[in-house]
Amino acid sequence: MLVLPSAILLFAFVLYPSGVAIYTSMTNLSLTGPAALNPRFIGFDNYTKLFSDHTFWRSLVITFWFVLFSAIIGQLVLGLLSAILLKRQFALRPFFNAIILMPNAVPGVVAALMWSSMLASGEYGTLNKIVAWFGVDPQRWLVTFPLSMIIVVNIWRGIGFAMILMNSGLSAISEELYEAARMDGATTWQAFRKITLPLLVPTIFLYLLVSTVTTIAIFALIYALTRGGPAGATEIVGIYIYNQSFGSYQLGYGSAIAVVLLIFSLIIGTFYVRALKVEV
Amino acid sequence: MALSKTSTKAEAGRYGVLIVLSIYCLMPFVWLLVAAFDTNAGLFLETPDSVSLNNFYRVFAEEDGLRWLINSLIVCGGATLIVMLLSGFGGYALSRTNAWWKRPFLYSIILIRVIPPPALIVPLYQVMLALNNGMRWLVLQVVPREHMRDVMQIVGFIDGYLGLILLLATMHLPLALWIMKTYFDSVSPEYEEAAVMDGATFGQRLRRVLLPLAMPGLAASGLFAFIACWDDFLVPLTFVSSPELRMLPIGIFSAFLRANEIDYGLLAAIAIVYTAPAIIAFVLARRFLVQTFGGGLKG
Repeated sequence: MLVLPSAILLFAFVLYPSGVAIYTSMTNLSLTGPAALNPRFIGFDNYTKLFSDHTFWRSLVITFWFVLFSAIIGQLVLGLLSAILLKRQFALRPFFNAIILMPNAVPGVVAALMWSSMLASGEYGTLNKIVAWFGVDPQRWLVTFPLSMIIVVNIWRGIGFAMILMNSGLSAISEELYEAARMDGATTWQAFRKITLPLLVPTIFLYLLVSTVTTIAIFALIYALTRGGPAGATEIVGIYIYNQSFGSYQLGYGSAIAVVLLIFSLIIGTFYVRALKVEV
Repeated sequence: MALSKTSTKAEAGRYGVLIVLSIYCLMPFVWLLVAAFDTNAGLFLETPDSVSLNNFYRVFAEEDGLRWLINSLIVCGGATLIVMLLSGFGGYALSRTNAWWKRPFLYSIILIRVIPPPALIVPLYQVMLALNNGMRWLVLQVVPREHMRDVMQIVGFIDGYLGLILLLATMHLPLALWIMKTYFDSVSPEYEEAAVMDGATFGQRLRRVLLPLAMPGLAASGLFAFIACWDDFLVPLTFVSSPELRMLPIGIFSAFLRANEIDYGLLAAIAIVYTAPAIIAFVLARRFLVQTFGGGLKG
């Protein structure tokens, strides 16, 4: 009985809409024109159109690179690095800890605003001033390297979270193991590869699941910074759905993309269920 | 001698890497903090000619900043309260029950959590539109036509507080239910059994035993829900069009898109007003982060 209100809300705003998405994806529903009033059932036409639509495939590829480089590589490597560097107690440790966590607390829209100043083109842009010290000419960052820049911004936002998780993983590894390794004359690198990494695998795996899910769902940051542009270069699949549905008014077609994304998420979700090993 | 030499080198390396990382993390904040107090701020980072609180004053006096802030607080506060209430009761039931639906329900909560919100935004729009029409019909039965607009702003599903609150609460409910379920798992049922033995009614048990016990879990689920709602951009972007209901993230976004010259000082000041509660909530939630997202493997 106590779960019922939650179940009703989840049904109304998650399960039922998912059903609606599947149905809508088989119609030509649109926000404007005759198809807005009388959508026609068109079966799998949206899906056949989808699979031959190269902008859809491009947005999948962009999503893949975005998740791979920002969440899986960037945040993980830098987060693990900071966790290792901040493992030992020293005077400035809380200070560095707080700094690395700070970007994590910033809402997506504000992050986009901050970075639009950082990445501003022209010789007075902050990043352009910085690279000028190294003799690099001013760049139009968001025009020339849009996807790489979005990745840089997202890494910036996620190092802190990765660091916290890695930190908890590291603190579970017994100090005696390192002691023993040092006795046997192992170098720091060997200790890292033979002790730290293998024992950290569960933590890393869990982190990868969580961060893949959250990174695919990112909307505000990219929408506020580039709206998927220039020319679709940063249009990850969530942004693509939004632009197709509310920008081009193709609700039916947008829903077909959404259903593909839903299925994909559910596949990741089943891995998640297994990882969490729900005990009853 | 040789040993101390390598360790100073390692120390220097550690500080070097940390300082580079810190610059990466801090640099974007600098412009925001400087521009907010600069009377004549631009997109570029520069030393201000004059420093004042004028931008903040203008956020509230000239722009609708106060309204945006209040709207954000109403919607996120309301959603957070609902999440805490539902996840408190729901988590308790999920932890104590052994009914057949327990396992499927828990599985579906996890599956629901991995759905990216943009995937559901189109059908949600259709559902919200239908609910809004239903509510409009209902309101028309009891309220005179001239108050229609005001009432719909409160109970409507599109351009209405109720819809925003319920939708945001639902989106962040699965994580909260999960937190509360695992939390109650760690609380021994003996306390309640003792209270039952002493002849306490359900109300007394709730107030005297369960609520105090559940406090840390509720704090965690409430904070995470608040942070997520406060950060949310997609929901207000899609379901709010009237200026009376505009919330902070959309206020910033629209100020940023203004066709004539963008007022960066003003924009930075709004951004700081918007970011401050998020940072406070994050600092409070920080100690729950590991047990919430890291403890899963043991679960």
